Amino acid sequence: MALIIDNKKLTDGIYLMRVSSNIQAPRPGQFVMLRPEGDGLFLARPISVMDWENGVWTFLYKVVGKGTEAMSRLESRDDIFMFGPMGNGFGRVLPLEKIRKAVLIGGGMGIAPMYGLAKALRKTGAHVKIHLGFTDEPILRKEFSDVADELVINVGGYVTDDVRFEQGPVYFACGPDPMMKAAARKAREAGAELIVSLESRMACGMGACLGCTIDTTKGSKRVCKDGPCFRYEEVTGLGK
Amino acid sequence: MKNPVIAASGTFGFGIEYEEYFDPTILGGVSSKGLTLRPSRGNAGIRVWETPMGMLNSIGLENPGVEHFVSHEALEMRKLGCAVIANLGGHSEEDYVTGAEMLNGCDIDILELNISCPNVKSGGMAFGTDPDQAADITSKVKAVTRHPLMVKLTPNAGDIVAVARACEEAGADGLSLINTVLGMAIDVRAEKAVFNNVYAGLSGPAIMPIALRMVHQVAHAVSIPVSGLGGISTAEDAIAFIMAGASTVQVGATTFRDPMAMVNIIKGLEEYAEKKSLKNIQDIRGIV
Repeated sequence: MALIIDNKKLTDGIYLMRVSSNIQAPRPGQFVMLRPEGDGLFLARPISVMDWENGVWTFLYKVVGKGTEAMSRLESRDDIFMFGPMGNGFGRVLPLEKIRKAVLIGGGMGIAPMYGLAKALRKTGAHVKIHLGFTDEPILRKEFSDVADELVINVGGYVTDDVRFEQGPVYFACGPDPMMKAAARKAREAGAELIVSLESRMACGMGACLGCTIDTTKGSKRVCKDGPCFRYEEVTGLGK
Repeated sequence: MKNPVIAASGTFGFGIEYEEYFDPTILGGVSSKGLTLRPSRGNAGIRVWETPMGMLNSIGLENPGVEHFVSHEALEMRKLGCAVIANLGGHSEEDYVTGAEMLNGCDIDILELNISCPNVKSGGMAFGTDPDQAADITSKVKAVTRHPLMVKLTPNAGDIVAVARACEEAGADGLSLINTVLGMAIDVRAEKAVFNNVYAGLSGPAIMPIALRMVHQVAHAVSIPVSGLGGISTAEDAIAFIMAGASTVQVGATTFRDPMAMVNIIKGLEEYAEKKSLKNIQDIRGIV
């Protein structure tokens, strides 16, 4: 069980929620399963960890359905059912301490995992450039500038238009489908190294239900257990 | 079995997915993900959809195939320290018989014959809705398998009691019921069905009263053991199924909701038996 510390509305339908729980600390790029109690919800929802500090978990989410709508009504000191952390995290795809220069690209709610990743990369001494894309109002500008060497914000356009892909830096991307496809195309053209974090509908988050299976060059993979972080070239639909 | 709680097929992988949460040794048994003769990629499109206190799924039996299971997953499952059940689905009579023959090559405790999956285009549930077809496939598999045979029934049969009786007469050593209830979801904004296959299987607490009624009917109509499942999420639910006549219970979708659900159910059954001074939880079997 976990306890809501606060649950702030940042802009229309977008919330920043802090939760206290002593479950195992996450690695950058992992997620947890969250289920508000008492709303008749059957399944928990996979939500990316934006930040973790001494048992305080920060989640950024957008209201898109019943689960996130129930989540948005939670108040300080309410209980929330939480288990995890789940998934491989970015470091299981490529050891983070080996990275000297990283370019992080986040679109919409895909900005969330980039925050924790940026923090971890900065700790190992890497140079971190962050590109964030928003449809209208930018959020968390201050927070992201605190964990970046360079921060570029795009509003209303294509965040990938601002990114120059080249060999050398490691690129990370998380965001809506068109953004991921554009990032993959540009990475391929430049021969750049790109790691993506994918989103999927899930029932269990553990690798048991097979609700989130995707096609990859290495056969069927589960976004929850084998991912959510993958090399882009492995993911069918992004790779070619 | 050390207790009557079994992880239901399709909700517990091959037993190792939940090892970070609890030691599967505490379970009575684990039923494998539904196997098919050849490896299957499963269904395209959306595969899971939440419903009021339940969920629809259209996974479509994604699995590595019987041959791979025999040489890999079955060996891993044997190490779980509980009863190992191989769940076998199929698209044709030949699939089932050949699959069962191949499973003779591995060390399992029970073969669960899945004639009730609603999510495969051919075969699957079709074998479980008609008593004659169910009996036919049961006797053919029984003739070749060296393992105890448990047939998993579908609630989508017109008369599940008739199917149950037909399977018993055809040589089934046990029955498990119910598989998922055929359901549907529509994306109203997109004006189309959520699932590529249009229909999908409903599970979770929403179907429990239906499952309980069917277990009660079937357990009173046959003399072979019945494994009850369908929406069990607490020890009290499990006790209700045993009172209705089930020898064992299976927990499925609820494990998705709460990975520790089976641990709590096992603990709750022990506490209940102690409180009621039962030597064995089976003492309450069929009392309703």
